[in-house]
Amino acid sequence: MPDNWGFVLAAYGLAAVVLIGYWRMLVRQESDLEDRSRLAPSSGHLTPGSQTTSARAGERSHAAPISGHPRPKPDSRDPLQ
Amino acid sequence: MWKDLLVEHRSKETLNALFFFALLLLFVFQFTLGPDRERLAGALPGLLWLGFILSGLLGLGRAFVVERENDCWEALLLAPGDKSAIYVGKLAGNLLLMFIVEVMLLVLFGVFFNLDLVPALPALVVVIGLGTVGFAAIGTLFAAMTTQVRARELLFPVLLLPVQVPVLLATVQATEAVLLGEPLGAVAHWLKLLAAADVVYVAVGVLTFDFVLEG
Amino acid sequence: MRVLGAVTVVALAAGLVAGLGLAPREVTQGNVQRIMYLHVPSVWVAYVAFAVVFVASIAYLAKRADAADRLAHASAEVGVVFTGVTIATGSIWGKPTWGTWWTWDARLTSVSILFVMYLGYLLLRGMIDDRERGARYAAVLGIVAAFNIPLVHFSVIWWRTLHQPPSLMTPGPAMPRVIITALLVNFVAFSLLYVYFVAKRVHLLRREAEAAA
Repeated sequence: MPDNWGFVLAAYGLAAVVLIGYWRMLVRQESDLEDRSRLAPSSGHLTPGSQTTSARAGERSHAAPISGHPRPKPDSRDPLQ
Repeated sequence: MWKDLLVEHRSKETLNALFFFALLLLFVFQFTLGPDRERLAGALPGLLWLGFILSGLLGLGRAFVVERENDCWEALLLAPGDKSAIYVGKLAGNLLLMFIVEVMLLVLFGVFFNLDLVPALPALVVVIGLGTVGFAAIGTLFAAMTTQVRARELLFPVLLLPVQVPVLLATVQATEAVLLGEPLGAVAHWLKLLAAADVVYVAVGVLTFDFVLEG
Repeated sequence: MRVLGAVTVVALAAGLVAGLGLAPREVTQGNVQRIMYLHVPSVWVAYVAFAVVFVASIAYLAKRADAADRLAHASAEVGVVFTGVTIATGSIWGKPTWGTWWTWDARLTSVSILFVMYLGYLLLRGMIDDRERGARYAAVLGIVAAFNIPLVHFSVIWWRTLHQPPSLMTPGPAMPRVIITALLVNFVAFSLLYVYFVAKRVHLLRREAEAAA
């Protein structure tokens, strides 16, 4: 059976790229947050949510940008009004 | 709960539209899979369930839209008593809807593909019944969840389809066996899976619906 | 956190050494089998991650603790990452082994369904602006998805074995101790990585929540 080291390297390389990429995304978001909290002390009027850094699969950044900005949609109507 | 059934009954338009949709699906299946009868015949159980599921996605996706559009949503939230009753009511209504659609599709299939479904009918009813309950149970839950969400028409199938895979696998396998004339005992494991799935899904639906309807 | 990170790196390095160096060349498959040292621990960790999502989801619905919600969210995200790695490495393993990039064998199929289910979870979270509702709905979804895992598992296995003889994904009956050790080392390493990722992600979520408050 041929050794197929190429595939082994590809697999390890891919795994490394994905995992390191995810780690870098986390680190970057963390420093973004720190920057923002240093610059804008209170309600961020010009911060449109953390940069959706399009990392590997963009889906992972879906999780990130639920930062607080005033609810843009009326879909949370107060039922008791 | 009766209110829901009545509403469904009165919304003949949904039913008509779904019937038309089912018919169109048949045409699409025929056109996409070509005139090769053999290939079509082999794929029939799958196509049947594709038809059920696609129609179900459309029908169930709208399950709570009526409430939403008519501002009954708050009324639902404020209703006293166990919210789970609403779930059961909705589920029953959705089941009825789906069964009607399925019957229509079965008849259409039988006509267009010249199938003799009668000998397999009792077994078919069991399989389809079990499968539909599984589909509707989670479908009703997810429909309630996605009504309030952006891009709900997109999110509903996206959430529902992966969860439905076990049910889909089981029903298609069982349907295939049944259509080939095998007794129900031959697919007992699939039926047990379906039954287990149904129990789990309905239980989870009943238990968590309160949380979905909270606000 | 730093300590955890450092320990993780050490463990990962150990795992690499074990997998690539110490473990012997497998008899039937050749060195390609070494990919297993990535693939298997990945999927184990993914399952752990989703189990955590399940527990955290229940905890959130029961106690309404935001920490539980953050844990569920983070664990789901990291779980999806590891599931992705599982699928990718599995596919790369498959190419030289079976000659094809993809095959609908039981394990790859189940894992793919897992991937898509929890990707949907993340999608749901992304699409709900109201944090409280998002947490609630996500918790419900987390519970449904977790109950679905065994159903998926069995249905897919039956689907495969009834159509084809079982595939050769499982390693041979008696695995040499070295291989098992290498697997365990990598498993520990990946688990540490998981913990590190989740901790970081939870931390981020909490900071985001505080910034919004």
